Order: sequence, then C-alpha cells, then structure tokens
Amino acid sequence: MPRRPRWRHVALAAALWLAANGAAAQSAIKIGWLSSLTGPLSSAAIAENQGVQFAVEEINNAGGVLRRRLELVTRDTASDPTKAVNFAKQLIFADKVDFIIGPVNSGESLPTVPIVAHAGIPNIVIGTLEELTDPKKYPRAFRAINTNRQWIQPANHYALDVLKRRKVAVIGDTTGYGTASAKTATELLEKAGVTPVYSTLIDPNKTDLTDELNKARAAGADVLMPWSAATGLLARLLNTRGAMQWNVPIVGHPALMAPPVKPLLNKLEYWDNVYAAGYVSTTYDAKGRLPPRTQALMDKLRPRFGGREIDFMFWWVALGYDTVKIIEHAIKTAASTDPAAIQKALENTRNFEGVYATYSWGPDARNGFPDHSIVINLGGSFKDGSYRAAPLR
Amino acid sequence: MDGLLIAIVSGVANGAVYGATALAYNAMFSTSKVLSVTTGHLAMLGGVFGAWFITALGVPAWLALALAIAVGALFGLLTELIAIRRVLARSDEHLWLLSTLALATMVSQAVGLWWGTEPKPFPRLIAQDDTAGPLDQKYWLPVLVALLLAGLLELFYRRTLYGKLFVAMSEDAFAARARGIPTDLVRAASYALAGAMGALAGFAAAQLTFAYFAIGLTLTLNGFIALAVGGLGSNPGALVGGLVLGVLSAVTTYFIGGEFQQTVAVGLLMIVLLVRPQGLFGHPDVRPV
Repeated sequence: MPRRPRWRHVALAAALWLAANGAAAQSAIKIGWLSSLTGPLSSAAIAENQGVQFAVEEINNAGGVLRRRLELVTRDTASDPTKAVNFAKQLIFADKVDFIIGPVNSGESLPTVPIVAHAGIPNIVIGTLEELTDPKKYPRAFRAINTNRQWIQPANHYALDVLKRRKVAVIGDTTGYGTASAKTATELLEKAGVTPVYSTLIDPNKTDLTDELNKARAAGADVLMPWSAATGLLARLLNTRGAMQWNVPIVGHPALMAPPVKPLLNKLEYWDNVYAAGYVSTTYDAKGRLPPRTQALMDKLRPRFGGREIDFMFWWVALGYDTVKIIEHAIKTAASTDPAAIQKALENTRNFEGVYATYSWGPDARNGFPDHSIVINLGGSFKDGSYRAAPLR
Repeated sequence: MDGLLIAIVSGVANGAVYGATALAYNAMFSTSKVLSVTTGHLAMLGGVFGAWFITALGVPAWLALALAIAVGALFGLLTELIAIRRVLARSDEHLWLLSTLALATMVSQAVGLWWGTEPKPFPRLIAQDDTAGPLDQKYWLPVLVALLLAGLLELFYRRTLYGKLFVAMSEDAFAARARGIPTDLVRAASYALAGAMGALAGFAAAQLTFAYFAIGLTLTLNGFIALAVGGLGSNPGALVGGLVLGVLSAVTTYFIGGEFQQTVAVGLLMIVLLVRPQGLFGHPDVRPV
C-alpha cells in the first residue's frame, strides 16, 4: 500500500487545529486601561494594576471570553487629567478598544468620562466623586467602586452614633477632591443635625498643622474628620495631635490607615484612636479570617508578591480584579461586545459576586457598589493587606 | 495666641526654605542670567538623598549631609552642561526656560519612579522629643541654614578671588571673557555651588517637608516669588522675600483659610511686579546709551 506523503499529515493536522482553535484566533477583545502608574497618585493605581493584569491572564489562560482573548491596552496617565483625556481619545479612536477601565482618580475621570461616554464605549468607572455617573448623560459608564458619600456616611455614623461625638471639625485639603469631599461631609453632618464647630481646607503640602489643630481645639472639637487622600497631610495631622497630647478621635478617609502613613509617624501610638472607612472584603472577622473570596484571590496572587505579607491595601487589587471580571460577565451575558448589548447586560445585573464587593446595577442605577460593603476599620490595625473592624462600643 | 505663634514660627521656617532656594537662584543667575526651573529640585534632591543615605544605607548624618550636598552639586553641574551651556551658546532667546523645565520634569519623574510617589520620613538629626513646640529643630534648622548660606555667600563674593570672578561675570560677562576669565568654567562652578546650597537647604528642611519627590516644583515657584519680592540678584533680598512670603502665607492661612494660600503667594508677586518691579532690595535696570 503506497504511503501518503508526510505533508498531507501536516496539512490535515493544521486544518484540524484551525477548526478547533479558529474561534480563539478571532480578533481579541480590547480593554483600555487608564491608570496613573506614575505621578503623585500612583500607589492605588499600581495595586489595582496587579489585579487587572492578573484577571486578564487568568481569563485568557482559561480560553478567553466567548473564545476570544482579552487584550489589555494600558496607558499611564501619570496622574495628569490632560494626559488622561488624550489617552482616552487614543484608546477610542486609534486603538479602537471595546471597553475602558478608569481613569483611576476622580480628578482625571471628571474630564475623561464624558469623552468616553460620547464615543459610546462601555466604561467601568473607578473614581468616587458622585458626578462621574449619570444614567442619562453617561449611559454606558458603570461604577465599580463606592461613591464618596458611601465612605462619608458610615464615618459620620461612627463619629456621631458610636463614639457619641457632636462637636465635629471637618478638615479637607485644597485639591478638587478634598474640597468636594469636605463639602459633602459637612452637608451630610448638617442633615444629621450637626453643624461642624470648625471647618478648614489645608494645602496638602502644608508643613505644619499645629495652628489648625489649635483652632479646632479652641472651637471645642471633640472629633476630627479629615477628608483627604494625601498621606503626608494625614501623617502630619496625626503627629500634630500627638505632639499636642490631645487624644481626640480621628474618623475619616481610608488613607488615614494607609501603610505609607506608618513610617511618617513620629510615634507609632499616634495611630491609636484613629478610625477610617474601609471594606468588608478586606476586614478580618472575630476569628481573624478574611471573606473566602478575598482569601482565595490573595492565595492565588501571593506568589507574585514574593510569597511574603502584603504591604499595601489589598482592596485596590480586588477592585482591579473585579473590573475585568465585570467586563467578562457583561460579555458573556450579552454574548457579544456590542456596546448597546453590554449596557443592557450590566443594567440587568443583580448581585454579581466579585471579590471587592457584590454588585448590582439597574436601568437608572449606575453605582453598583452596595452600602453594606463599607465598614469602619481601626487605624493602626493593618496586617497583610487588610484591617480589623473598629469596635462598636 | 499659641496657635498664631506656632503659625508664625512655621511661616518663618518655610520662608527660610524659600529664601535659601532664592539664594540658589541668585548664584546661578549671577553668571548666566538664567532663572533655572530646576532650582527647587536641588532642595528636593537634598531631602530625598539625605533620607536615603541615612535610613536605607545607614550612613551617619554628617556623612549623609556631605553626600547629599555632593549629589546637589553634581546635579547643578549637569544642569549647566545639559540645559544651559548649549542653549546659551546657540540662542539669546529664553529657550533656557524650556530646557530647564524639561530637565526638572525628568529629574522629578525619575526620583518619583525610584523613591516612590508617597512622602517618606526624614530622621531626626538631633535627639529631641516631638513635643518641643516652636523650639523643635524642624523649625530652626532651616532658618539657621538659610542665614549661614547668605553669610557665607556674601563672604565668598566679597573676600575671595573666585567670588570676585562671579561678580565680574554678573556685571558684564563679555567684558569678563575679554579679560581672560574662563566664563564657561565659572558658570559651571556657580551651578555646582547653587546645587550644593540647594541640597543643604533641602536637607535642613526635610523634617518639615518630608522626603518627597513633588516638593521640587513648589519650592521652584515659591523660591522665585521670594526672589522677585526681595529683588533679583540681592542675597539679603532673597532672605527677606522668603520671610515675607512664608509669614504672609502662614498668617493668611491662619486667619482666612488654606484655600487662599496660593492666591496670596501669587498675589504678592503681582503686587511687587506692579508697584516695585525691581523688588524690595533690587536696583532698577539702567540702559546705558
């Protein structure tokens, strides 16, 4: 019997491989990732980037979504709103991405979200300012992170109802974010029947806060509520309070308990009596355990961090991971990457279980993060990327 | 009253840092007629490298100070070589503004990537509890260094041959060159000197500012305002300008609020430029005819 030429075997094998993998060879699904990997606001973005990259790799290793690979197109905005806008345009018009995650910071998101919305690209928003989502103006912008208000309300509740303080000093910084947050905090306090005894906005690079705290003390403040993401400013606040030997509680922004604050403290005990808004997903329970989904992601990622304890806030990684998983969920539900179908899929999403939170959006609801996923953490309790809950005394 | 006192003390300390930065501006301006955007970054380098030498490498504080000054001097020299020399040789236009801005941005980004973008602590240089209030070293160290720098600079200009070369170039660079003064060399030396001064100021102020990559641009702006208020080329003016800016900012913040701090700083610059463009201690330009 004559033998078939070897090349026929090769051609047959190639045809079979192509038939099997033809779908996977379709064009990739492009995800634009606007991240401030450098610049003054890079800490959170670097952590989020770990989660985003890991989720993309994990999904691709499992065969992609609808048998299409995910392709991540990362652009470093360097914490600069102008660059964020330019990169958003590049992602939309030159790279022709199917989705955009970010930008990371509210200041960059404010000018960028309308541009992405105008182009009709689905946008996973991870800035906290309320104005960033609007079902009518930006119908395809879905927020994964909490809003500012969702941080401030539990903090106000803790100060007023748990610590039983009524004489509040609201401290913001002079950035757009700090100013808006302090204003919201004051409004919510007034709604609760409390008028702050002292309010101030401070330059984030102000080198000494003794005068501000003296004025707050003279005004009779019995709780300080800072709303700023500037770790240098917050560390100075804690150091000044310590140097004044004024043991007034401080309740406020999550950055109060950020690891970069620790080395800036003159004494470690200056972190006592500090409470900040945090997340259920990265809070230890009474037995010292994390929620299972957080623990599972942490276990998978730990080898990438050299197997050692995690020395940054793990919730940023969880948020980054979830943004990609939300996109995967939307594509699978819509069975396509058509923007209108993606919008409908996300509008109909209820209780999508992520690591950072369990999300629900609706036809008129673009903020998917639930209120009950916020918890007040104890300032100096950071350990392995997570925190202990503040006591409910 | 305690609050106002500490606000003024803090304002004086910050003003001293602005004044020291303005002195570094003057040292470079005297030989090149350039106001380098890198000036504030010299102080930033002093703080960051000082912290790195002490905390990461475990170097004693006195040696860390010497090394930080050397880093500042080296960066000053590189500024002259990279951003000034060729630009001045090719053009009389103010292209140095762009070249020094580019270099300042590059060094700021590089330090941000290497050192990190969060502020980091600067160790205590003298054993002292942090409850010393207005007597804390973080307030008086920058003041001491600014006064020391101004005094030494005056001695250098008046009492040394090299200082007189600087003055000669400041008066008329072309005449100085005609007299055989190696103007390129003198200009490079002035940039190295400014680098060393800036780094020393940054090292002394780092307990106040933290070791932070983004502080360079703030000092560049506030140092320039101090210089403009005091009078370009005047060292006593630089100190007084810094002091006025620091105290005015602190008092304004105390009485009105932090959101007006920058408005006051820039407003002060505007007023001086409109009312007395040569600054408090400067001399009006006289055009020889």
